[in-house]
Amino acid sequence: MLNLSLARPTWQSHLRAVLAIARKNWLHFLRYPLNAVFQIVQPVMWLTPVYFLGRTFATAQGNVGFAAYTGISDYMAFIIVGSIISSYISAVFWGMGLALKTEMDSGVLESNWMTPVPRPLLLVGQTLANLGITTLNCVLVCVLAWLLFGFSISGNLLAAALTLIPMLVALYGFGFAFAALVLLIRESNTLIDVSDFVISTFSGSRFPVMVLPRFLLPISLAIPLTYGLDAVRGLLLNGTTLLPIGTEIIILCAFMLVMVPTGYGVFKLVERRCRIHGTLGMH
Amino acid sequence: MLGSTTLGQRSFGSELRALLAMAHKEWTIFVRYPSWVIAFVIWPVLFPFGYIFTAKALSGPGGMAAATFGSRAGTTDYASFIVIGTTLYMWLNITLWDVGLQLREEQMRGTLESNWLCPIWRISLMLGGSLTKLATALMFLAITVVEFWLFFDIQLLRGNAALLLLLLLLLIASIYGIGIAFGSLVLRFKEANAMVFLVRGIFLVFCGTTYPIEVMPHWMQQIATLLPLTYANRALRMVILSQASFADVWPDVRALLIFAVMLPLLGYVAFRIVEQRARRTGTLGQY
Repeated sequence: MLNLSLARPTWQSHLRAVLAIARKNWLHFLRYPLNAVFQIVQPVMWLTPVYFLGRTFATAQGNVGFAAYTGISDYMAFIIVGSIISSYISAVFWGMGLALKTEMDSGVLESNWMTPVPRPLLLVGQTLANLGITTLNCVLVCVLAWLLFGFSISGNLLAAALTLIPMLVALYGFGFAFAALVLLIRESNTLIDVSDFVISTFSGSRFPVMVLPRFLLPISLAIPLTYGLDAVRGLLLNGTTLLPIGTEIIILCAFMLVMVPTGYGVFKLVERRCRIHGTLGMH
Repeated sequence: MLGSTTLGQRSFGSELRALLAMAHKEWTIFVRYPSWVIAFVIWPVLFPFGYIFTAKALSGPGGMAAATFGSRAGTTDYASFIVIGTTLYMWLNITLWDVGLQLREEQMRGTLESNWLCPIWRISLMLGGSLTKLATALMFLAITVVEFWLFFDIQLLRGNAALLLLLLLLLIASIYGIGIAFGSLVLRFKEANAMVFLVRGIFLVFCGTTYPIEVMPHWMQQIATLLPLTYANRALRMVILSQASFADVWPDVRALLIFAVMLPLLGYVAFRIVEQRARRTGTLGQY
């Protein structure tokens, strides 16, 4: 009887499974304290060259050239908002794709796959601890950056956070499709590094996309995350936006509605193919 | 019996064969995972991309703030200025990951102890692999030069060719000296990722990778003087962007000469200390 109830999945058992995965990842994070410290120090190390680059261009009136493009005089606030959002983008990328590859390498993917938990939920579980760690990191990085570089945010924080929600949900759809790709090619590091860097760069995490040459600008404008970054900056820093903020939020919601079922569909398709060919345990 | 005696008899030839065998093994592993092609083609352009367009945004419409950059950096060509710095930084980064972690990877795979017992000069284990890593790094540099010339019309092979070659040779000795010292430390302390993040972060921040070091506070400039990439960045930028002569860059060449002698020595000493400690404590196989 007891065995039977183990095999009968409920929403509580799913929730327990997701939390168990998140707990396991959290323990991994705490187990390597030096790596944990560097997750906070490293973003500050990336921000420092950008800060000094800004100082090299600054006149007595501040970064006037930058302000002419963006309508934002606080250059570091622009950069830090971009850095925070791109760390959430990375959390979803790393959380799913890399976790799959790690489980493949350590030989536990097949056994985890056999548990009576929906497989997309296994992937979602992999991102939970990452999102928690990212949030903690962002708070600490903001405090450190405020102390070292100084910046101010005067806009509507709640509206900005709400704008982020459809973007994050859409990223999960993207993450599913990406995890499918990792299952197929069984290699993740280069793929994650390059795609994460390309997407976060082209979506304007470090500069206003309007400075891109004509032939590259369409790539930026085709990435919905560009509008997410732009809308959040518009709400927090009151700068000039590419489109009216309302339109940008509609684009994000449409992105979410398209991306989640598409990503889920691709993942199911590839996962089925892997099961048929028995390639799940290979790496 | 005769065969065993020959195997145990070390000579210059056997050391060389061991060195080349290590280099060959690393090359086989390198070509076995073809994703390096993507990394080699994309990263040289992708990494400086963000900095170049951030600089373009900072310079404003019509380059209204570029003159301010020029007054501090000695050139208004911020794109070339940044590309030189980021290319050297990427070279160091690759060396830290590749040379610095090669013995650690053997430790993780469980093959380090058995290799350690071979009747060869132990640093050959590291130097052999480093030869391959040097060859791949030079490939990376060549791809960088070609890509920036093709896609951005930035020519990195300008100025005095002999001087560029001299700076390259001094840099090879300095960077691989750092790599070997770093590899020894990783073998000892084992938290490899965190150590790469720390060391590469120090070089990224203090060596003027994307900006002239004069914009940093005085205490940071003092730290910059202790790092070889600071001199290399300045000398290469002067030679490539301002066609500087040997006399112009002599102070930087002199500093690099000292680093080129001292850093490989430091690498060797660090390796010897780790080797002796490993023999005393028997911790070589632990990970």
